[in-house]
Formats: sequence, C-alpha cells, structure tokens
Amino acid sequence: MTALEAQRVPAVFVASSEFAPAADAQGAALGFRPAAVYVAHPVQDRTDDEMRALADDAVAGVWASLSQASRG
Amino acid sequence: MTPRQLLDPTSERGPADRPRTPRPESLQGLTVGLLDIAKPRGDVFLDRLHELLSARGVEVLRFRKPTYTKPAPIDLRREIAVRCDAVVEALAD
Amino acid sequence: MVIYASHVGLPDGYAVFVKASCPTCREVAPVLRRLREAGVPVSVYTQDDPSFPSGVEAIDDTDLHRSYEAGVEIVPTLLRVTGGAVAETLQGWLRADWERVTGVPGLGDGLPDHRAGCASRTLDPEVAEMLAVRLGARRLAARRVELGDLEDEAEAMFERGWTDGLPVVPPTPARVLRMLEGTSRHPEEVVAVVPPDLVDCTVEKVAINAVLAGCRPEYLPVVLAAVEAACTDEFNVHGVLATTWSAGPVVIVNGPIAARVGMNSGGNALGQGNRANATIGRALQLVVRNVGGGRPGGVDRATHGNPGKYTFCFAEDEQRSPWEPLAVERGLAPGRSAVTLFAGSGLQPVVDQLSRTPESLARSLAASLQAVAHPKQALAWDALLVVSPEHARVFREGGWSKARLRQELDGLLRRPGAELARGAGGIAEGIPAALADGEVSKFRPGGLLIVHAGGTAGLFSAIIGGWVSGALGSEPVTREVRE
Repeated sequence: MTALEAQRVPAVFVASSEFAPAADAQGAALGFRPAAVYVAHPVQDRTDDEMRALADDAVAGVWASLSQASRG
Repeated sequence: MTPRQLLDPTSERGPADRPRTPRPESLQGLTVGLLDIAKPRGDVFLDRLHELLSARGVEVLRFRKPTYTKPAPIDLRREIAVRCDAVVEALAD
Repeated sequence: MVIYASHVGLPDGYAVFVKASCPTCREVAPVLRRLREAGVPVSVYTQDDPSFPSGVEAIDDTDLHRSYEAGVEIVPTLLRVTGGAVAETLQGWLRADWERVTGVPGLGDGLPDHRAGCASRTLDPEVAEMLAVRLGARRLAARRVELGDLEDEAEAMFERGWTDGLPVVPPTPARVLRMLEGTSRHPEEVVAVVPPDLVDCTVEKVAINAVLAGCRPEYLPVVLAAVEAACTDEFNVHGVLATTWSAGPVVIVNGPIAARVGMNSGGNALGQGNRANATIGRALQLVVRNVGGGRPGGVDRATHGNPGKYTFCFAEDEQRSPWEPLAVERGLAPGRSAVTLFAGSGLQPVVDQLSRTPESLARSLAASLQAVAHPKQALAWDALLVVSPEHARVFREGGWSKARLRQELDGLLRRPGAELARGAGGIAEGIPAALADGEVSKFRPGGLLIVHAGGTAGLFSAIIGGWVSGALGSEPVTREVRE
C-alpha cells in the first residue's frame, strides 16, 4: 500500500474493524497512515449475501477515500 | 524504543505527517484496481464492489496477491501502478 | 582555561565533583573527610557511585545534571562558591592550592604535592550529547516530527519533501544544537522573511536546514548572511524562484571567513568536492524551498533550471588577485567578511590561450559577454565574470586595474543599436526599435560583476550569465557576515 501511494497511486484498504488497532500501530511505525475503510466484524463466517451487504456499506467510504468527493 | 525525533525544517504551515498522494476529483471515468489479498471469501466482497463501482462509471481491473502472508510481488505492484489510477485492497480481518 | 557558568545553583561554600573510578579522586577522599571534620562547608557530588566517597554524605549526581550545569570537565574539581557564583576553580589535586582555597593547612598527608585528575563523565561523547539534548533541547522551538519505528530516516525525509532530490542529513535536536553553536546569534532571532509564503525565518530554522544540507557549525554565519541577502527586496529571491529563466542564487564569499571555514577559491571552485562550498549554497536553497515553500511545479516554473540550483557557492581568490575583492569594490571595509548574492544561470567557460596583451584578452571576454542571454539583447541582463589566475596575470602584467578592465569592456560592449534591433540580421529577437538609436551598451551600469577565482592551470575564464535587473528582476546584494 505504501509502495503504491509512493508511486502516486491513491490506495485504500478495506478491513474488518478488528484490524483497526493493528493498522494504527503499523501506520505509526511506518510514519504513514494509509486510507482505510472498516467493515463490521466478523467477516469470515458471513453468507454470500451478507458479504455483498458489507460491500454495499463500504463503497461510499471507498469512493470518498480515493477521490476528492465528499462522502455519500 | 525511544521515538526518533527530527526538527521540522519547514515553515510548519502544513501537517507534520507524511501526506497521502493527491486524489483525483472523481473516480468516474478512471480505472480502479481491486487487489484481492487472498483471504478466504474476499472475492465475494470484491465481486460486489466491482459491480457497484462499474455502475458508477469506473473501469475496474482485478488483481490477486499470490498469498496473503507476503507483500504483493514487485511485478504485481508495478502492473497495478501502470494500469490503474487508484487501488482498493481487500479484505483483511 | 575553563569558563564556568557564573550562576550554578550551588550552595555557598565549596563544591567538589568526583567519580569513584578516578584514582586521584580516591586518593583525595581522605582530604574531603578532613575538610568536613574541620567544619568546612563542602558538598561532594559523585558522578558514578553514590556510596563514594564514604563519610562525606556524598550527593548523587549520577544523572550529571549538577556537573553539567557547573561545567565540570575534570574530576576532582573543587569550586569555591560565593553568592551563588563560582569564585574560584581548582582542577585535579594540588596541595598548595587546596590548602589556600579552603584555608585548611596540612591537607593530603601521604599524597604527592600534585596529581592530575581524570575526565569528567560529562565529557563522554554519548553522555555529552544526551545532556546537551536533554538540557538544551527544550530551548528549540521547532515542531518535532516523530518518525515511525520502521521508517528509514533517509526515506522519511524524501517522503516529507524536505530534500532537493539528493539525500539530506537528519536534523536531530543534538545536531541542531551543535549547529547553533556556530553563531552567537539567538536561535529565536528572525533572520529574514522568506518568500513566497512570507514566513518569518529564525536562526533556528536556518540551522535546521544547514544540518539538512550537511554544513558544519562554523559555516552557519555565512549561511545566515546568504539568507539575509537573498530575502532582500533588491535581490528578489521570489522573482528568481518564480521565473521561467534558468536563474538561481549564486553566493560569492569574501573575507577571512572563507579560508577559516575551508572554502575553495581555487581549482574547481565552481564545481563539486569542497564541503563548505557545497553545503553553504545548498543550505540557502533548502531554506528557500523548505521555509519559504517555493518548489518546482509550484512557484518554481523554470523551463530548464540549472545545476546551480542544487548549490552554487564559492570564495573569491583574494590572495592571488591583482584587484580589490568584490565585496570591497561594493563598499565593504577591507578585511571584513561578506557574501554577495547574484542571480546566476549556469556557467559559460571562455577559452583564450593565445592573448598575451590585456587588450586582446579583453576583446575575447567582451565577445563572449556579448552573448549573455542573447547576442542581440542589451541592458536587461546582468553577468558575473570569473577571471582565472592565468587570465588575471595578463591583466596584472599589463598594469590593468579592475577599473581599467571595466572601462575597456564597457567600450567593447557598445554595439550599434541597428545591429541589435529586432529583425536585424534576420533574427526576430533583439531590442525594441525605440531603443535602437545610436550605440547601445550590453550591460546596464553595475550589471557586470567581476571576481577572481579558479585554479592556476588554465587560460580560461568563466561567465555566469545573470537574470534581468530592475523592478521585476534582481540586483546583486552584498551582506556582511556576523558571527
């Protein structure tokens, strides 16, 4: 992610909310906080329909973090 | 470990953090890469994101890391950087 | 001789600083016990082992704060303190002095008359740095930027946009404090207002950028003078930065400071390899970019730029010169140190290996000077002529002062306006018809600077083309160096 941002490619990662503390710590260690969108935990044992619903919820945040458009 | 501190050589009018790369005004008409980091079921999530972004006028390209446990290989990163205007990595848990 | 802080926060009486690992201190321990028995008000500070010496209620100074504040360099050190200030200092053991200062006779039975001490722990390189930072760093005003544990220092500075494209030296508090020792000026003193963002630039900010550039502390006064000169309205660094022309600040150093900090005025003086030349010019550029905010693609719109925008700084060779130094010619008292800033756009060397007379050599130089910016342009552009020792010899042997050379060049650089007019010679570029009457001088009065520098082998001189002068352009500016 940092490599892509360094090459001027806007990047965002999507992760379960459980991932947030680890991501923060890594961001602090690297001195760089990439854009992140968090989805509700758990992820692994979701049905396909539930996974698709997570994507529906996440798309606005993804769009906002990769462009200058405001959320929504 | 004691944090390493440097003194700021700038006018300090901007933030001290390393900035993210500038974003385009909109993603419409651009190419967005979806990078599957190879955790199970991530593909279902990304398939849906693919539909949603395409519906908003985005050209979507799909990529997949060979394994979750290591960073994306340099060729893959280069390919993404060359072919895409932005990238989404998913889905970590 | 050691100068101690006059007010060291010690109680009146006597203060002795020791460390257990010092043989002389161990020998002197009985003396300290004797002094206390005699009722002398002596406080003993121990730098390493708080239980040493026994029987004197030794004060733990293992964090070395007391020793540092008192400026202790040798152990044992005996201070006589009166009214909170150090009245007398003894380093090492000398019976006669200790007896005199304490007023107690018969000290040190069995000791030699004299024994040298050991280095104070405050002088350990690691300790010195740590103390300087801890006790000095709170005086630094700049924002602290914390690097992530996994961040590479060099990359971190590239990524924050602090560099000129080449790596820079991490500006740690210790390095910046050391840099500030190069000047007696106060770190908070505002040196200049830096365009384009019009930022108040303090001595401290210049020091941080001087660290980035790789300067030694003794270069700092030169950098400060260069920043002051660059940010004057006359020099117009904003214009120099914003122009599409190739110009960048060129720093010419005169006076004793050049040799004192090891600058190069001889062979390859305008090239690479000399730390002072390289880093002083670079520090100025970094200040303009980092503090002022002017960057390529932003305010900096240069079409080509020139390599001198990394750094372009050299000293005039005054010793071999047949003429007065540039700064003196521009009004500075002889023997003073100064910088002259010139908006220069690269280097055009001139070969003349055959002229034996000053007349012939002057013609060579004039013919080359005519081409600055464009052969058919006149009065608008400045130039800096760097005459080499070999070429200077021709003028010296001909008995030509700098004024004489200048007079000759002025005459040679007058051309018929009709030749220079737009369209003349089939070239659209040139001077407007309205200015093309009679003869026209290439340079405006004061637009041609002449300095002496370079190696002793080589019948070449060099022209550093300038930029436009006048209200929208830049004037050369000379500033004295204050240490």
